Amino acid sequence: MPPRPELLRLWRGLDDPAHDPALRRFLRAEFPAAAALAEGPDRRSFLRLMAASLALAGLTGCDDAEDGHAQEVPYVRQPERMMPGRLMRFASATLLDGFANGVTVHTRNGRPLKIEGNDAHPWSRGGTDIFAQASVLGLYDPYRSQSVCSFDRISDWQAFGAAVTGWFAALREGRGAGLRLLTGPLTSPTTLAAVAAMRAAYPEMHWHSHAAVGRAALREGTVQAFGRRLETRWRFDRARVVVSLDGDFLDPGPQQVGVARDWIAARQAGARNGMLPSLHAVATAPGLTSARADFHAPARPDAIMTLADGLIADVSGTGGSDDGGSDALAEWRRRAAAALRGARGASIVLAGVAQPPSVQVAVHRLNAMLGNLGRTVFFTEPAEAEAESLASLTGAMARGEVGTLVMLDVNPAYDAPADLDFTEHLAKVRLRIHAGLYADETARRCDWHIPLAHPLESWGDARSLDGTVSLLQPTIAPLYGGRSVAEILSLLTAPQAPRGGHDLLRAHWQESVDEAAWHEALLGGFLPGTSFAEEPVAAQQVAAAPAAPRPPRAAGLHVLFRPDPGIWDGSFASNAWLQEMPRPLTKLVWENALSVAPALAAREEIAQGDVVVLEADGRRVTGPVWIMPGQADDTVVVTLGYGRTALDLLAPETGYDAYVLRTAVSPWQIAGAALQRTGRRVELATAQFHNTMEGHDFVRVQRIGASPVGDTAAWTAPHFYDESKKESDGRAWGMVIDLDACIGCNACAVACQAENNVAVVGREEVMAGREMHWLRIDRYFAGPAQNPDTHFQPVPCMHCEDAPCEVGCPVEATLHDHEGLNLMVYNRCVGTRACSGYCPYKVRRFNYYDYSAAAPPSEQQQRNPEVTVRARGVMEKCTYCVQRIAAARIVSDRTGAPIPLDSVRTACQNACPTRAIHFGDLARGDSDVAAARRDPRHYALLGELNVRPRTTYLAKWAPPDAAPPPPAG
Amino acid sequence: MEQLFKPGADAIFRLVLFIVIFSAAAALAVAAALSGSAFVTGTTIAARQPVPFSHKHHAGELGIDCRYCHTTVETEATAGLPPTYTCMTCHSQIWTGSPMLAPVRDSLARNQPLHWTRLNRLPDYVYFDHAIHIAKGIGCSSCHGQVQEMQLTYAVQSFTMGFCLDCHRAPQNNIRPQDEIFDMAWTPPADQAERGRALLAHYHIRPPAELTDCSICHR
Repeated sequence: MPPRPELLRLWRGLDDPAHDPALRRFLRAEFPAAAALAEGPDRRSFLRLMAASLALAGLTGCDDAEDGHAQEVPYVRQPERMMPGRLMRFASATLLDGFANGVTVHTRNGRPLKIEGNDAHPWSRGGTDIFAQASVLGLYDPYRSQSVCSFDRISDWQAFGAAVTGWFAALREGRGAGLRLLTGPLTSPTTLAAVAAMRAAYPEMHWHSHAAVGRAALREGTVQAFGRRLETRWRFDRARVVVSLDGDFLDPGPQQVGVARDWIAARQAGARNGMLPSLHAVATAPGLTSARADFHAPARPDAIMTLADGLIADVSGTGGSDDGGSDALAEWRRRAAAALRGARGASIVLAGVAQPPSVQVAVHRLNAMLGNLGRTVFFTEPAEAEAESLASLTGAMARGEVGTLVMLDVNPAYDAPADLDFTEHLAKVRLRIHAGLYADETARRCDWHIPLAHPLESWGDARSLDGTVSLLQPTIAPLYGGRSVAEILSLLTAPQAPRGGHDLLRAHWQESVDEAAWHEALLGGFLPGTSFAEEPVAAQQVAAAPAAPRPPRAAGLHVLFRPDPGIWDGSFASNAWLQEMPRPLTKLVWENALSVAPALAAREEIAQGDVVVLEADGRRVTGPVWIMPGQADDTVVVTLGYGRTALDLLAPETGYDAYVLRTAVSPWQIAGAALQRTGRRVELATAQFHNTMEGHDFVRVQRIGASPVGDTAAWTAPHFYDESKKESDGRAWGMVIDLDACIGCNACAVACQAENNVAVVGREEVMAGREMHWLRIDRYFAGPAQNPDTHFQPVPCMHCEDAPCEVGCPVEATLHDHEGLNLMVYNRCVGTRACSGYCPYKVRRFNYYDYSAAAPPSEQQQRNPEVTVRARGVMEKCTYCVQRIAAARIVSDRTGAPIPLDSVRTACQNACPTRAIHFGDLARGDSDVAAARRDPRHYALLGELNVRPRTTYLAKWAPPDAAPPPPAG
Repeated sequence: MEQLFKPGADAIFRLVLFIVIFSAAAALAVAAALSGSAFVTGTTIAARQPVPFSHKHHAGELGIDCRYCHTTVETEATAGLPPTYTCMTCHSQIWTGSPMLAPVRDSLARNQPLHWTRLNRLPDYVYFDHAIHIAKGIGCSSCHGQVQEMQLTYAVQSFTMGFCLDCHRAPQNNIRPQDEIFDMAWTPPADQAERGRALLAHYHIRPPAELTDCSICHR
């Protein structure tokens, strides 16, 4: 018998240990998702079902054209290199808050269908995030603004041009006095040049920039510490210890793709050498960074500064001051301080965007004292240009100094801090122009709204966090005649002679990039050598700076603001993939909740789903409570992006609007709040309790130096199947998922949805357990609810060699092929769902309704023509991207050359920013996946079932001094 | 007690039984015949097209190669339809005033594509790739029939799954040498059984068990 690995006592949510009887019943039902059907419909729903079936039966007789024949439409003039159905790749970039992530856009028949990574891009290195993956759906979003509007009436560009020509000519006369420009954060050199050109035309124009998830605190921190705006960057490969004070480097944001890659690469290199770099994290609100920490503790927001001062004292050897924190926090600080002292010059201390400048300065001091500056921590110019703040704009608006306000790609009427009273002051502006992807809250209050072109439709450039300039090229003509920010600026600068996006872009780089290099850059997607150089800083100066005064310990509850992990600040609220993506830690979909700590919930006698009123400074929001393990006591976390009031949106008026509570002075936290119960309770839409697997060692943890937790039991145990009958053509596809590299970011799940035409089902269906994601990410907690370890485990189909589902199917709709894939043949499936009942991993999804047919026509344009769109009544599941395997096989068979090693890459594998997913041919010993299988950490999920899964896992690493997991119970 | 049934009842019963079984069988046979008939499948029926294009004239009489118009048949999944430009390479020189060709000239002049009626159709869940079939020795005429003799084009096969499987189970009956792929008049030679076996080895064609994997055609 192989040694039994340490069992982690895993649980998935607070209701789980409570053994809620309703939940137990739900889990015990063979088909939780079908429970509602089994109860029997009432008369009305029966009639509705019958009517629907009749209508659907009638539809099957329909065909594409009136004469029953489909049509074939060739080109008039065939574009060069464009073949019907052929995959074309264009290097481009996706944007998040103005920051670029270099990607490759895959198009077929002229339609962008899928975002893949760009391996050569120096920042993204082939990685993507959820926002990049979902941007193709954003392009085809039917709710996008589709025309120029004047006071809510449809107008056109010509009318807009005519209207602004005279007005801006008059402004020019007055040197632009009273003209204000408000944009999001700008990193694009071309757009910045357009802003400069506009300022040259209107010298007295003011330019303001606003982002709901701004990086102002980081900038202010370096200004206070070093006297200049700087971006802090880290070299994880030189660090042995990383201490995060409410850090967010693994959380969604412009830094995620590049920084997470650096961290995981450093961690894997360290683990190979037996020197695992460890992550110590305190967090006020649990996030992906604290979830992946080896040592973690929750801390009240007002304790972070105290903690930072304590660490400074510990490191400088002046003796620790009593921080008065909880035992877990004190223990954490002892460990972190000891680790830092032992790794001078090889450690990193960092803080996230939500921490105030005082903490940022303390972090810089700590790094300076530890000798990290210039070694593990370095500074560069920030990618986003400096502009005036939103607060100064509203100030000017209140004073009546603003005659013309141009708002480009921002939605301040929704996401401005409430204390600025933006909408009230907006009414005082004489001419209001708004450009955006959506006719949103701001558009409704403006004289003119003009549609913005989607990044996939326009020429442009933008910088990544490291400064690398990515080039954006259009992969489709603007669907609704939108224009890019730079084009609109050009129009406003010279209404008579506006310039096109390509013209502006090429003109900006004309001098520095010659034609040959430009061609190369367009093919590669970025301008090489444009990343920022390291900026020297005076380490002595910051180390000697006096410590900032500590904030007083505030009474009442702290409200913490965080971007929603799916729809960010609300700008992706119309994206159904992101709405339905289970949030990494809560697994909530389609709504937001007020997260509270378990202790707070117990003290206030609040249960999950209780609707409460959160009141602070006389402003209040109402929402349901989510009890979040590992959250700091006395805090309430609210997420931004919901409670939209614009009607032209996918899901208006879902969730609550957290911006109502926000202030410009302290945008990330406010103290002195109070909770009040309303007595109502609602059911939250969560994918958490569906398809649980209980009482097993799903996630294994490999401590450095401990005996291997991996095993080969799943391949060596005897079984009753006749091995000799198995045929193979020599290929054996398999997947290994490295749990240590997984940060739980969901990029794989969204990529799978984009590649495989996975349907969106909506909130009610998810609540019934009918979500369709082929790849789910299970999240487990282990340890005490106050401070648990968090584990993520992506679970696609296991493609078991002895698949139980195949035994269950009465019509052989699921069966194996000779390359070891467990196939799902939709046209054979009769919908018995027996396979799902037989599946031990619960990875099969059933089409209870015709989810796909209901999608709007414009969204159907996004569908991958290489994958069948599933109809009602059939089962579906992960296919290992069989369409990509088939494409490679056909080329190989046609040319006679074998499939190049590791050249078939699944959508999830390609999307992963940290390269956690290995896929390939197990039959070839030199393949990446075969090497991963030889790792001592390698194990199979539910290996004892002896079904020989082709998808397997590598255990997570843990440092040797990590607390041993509590015994299995 | 009187007999319930007369002596002839047996005969009537047998007759009724026969009629019931016979009509059930006949109904099945009619349904089967009808489902495979040209009336339902549309085979052998020339659909209305914007231009009465004659494959007989172009491919048969003039001897234009299939690939002159269907350019991607050797490299892509789809064979491809010619853009209006391809038609006009010749028809800007000959038959320039023909009323039959007015839609083609119109298409070029207005830059609006021609809308052809599709004849050969597969369900959406079937993924057929022309290039691999050409590369492995399946000729055009095996599926599309004697196109060079069609005055107006029609489909000859309804592409049922049975049609595909017949060949995937026994490709040796249909594969040809590379230089005969575009021979539209090709018929299996007398020694096809022997030549087919040799070609199977030559093309490295997978065994039938692998060629009939569901994932070969369905994704």
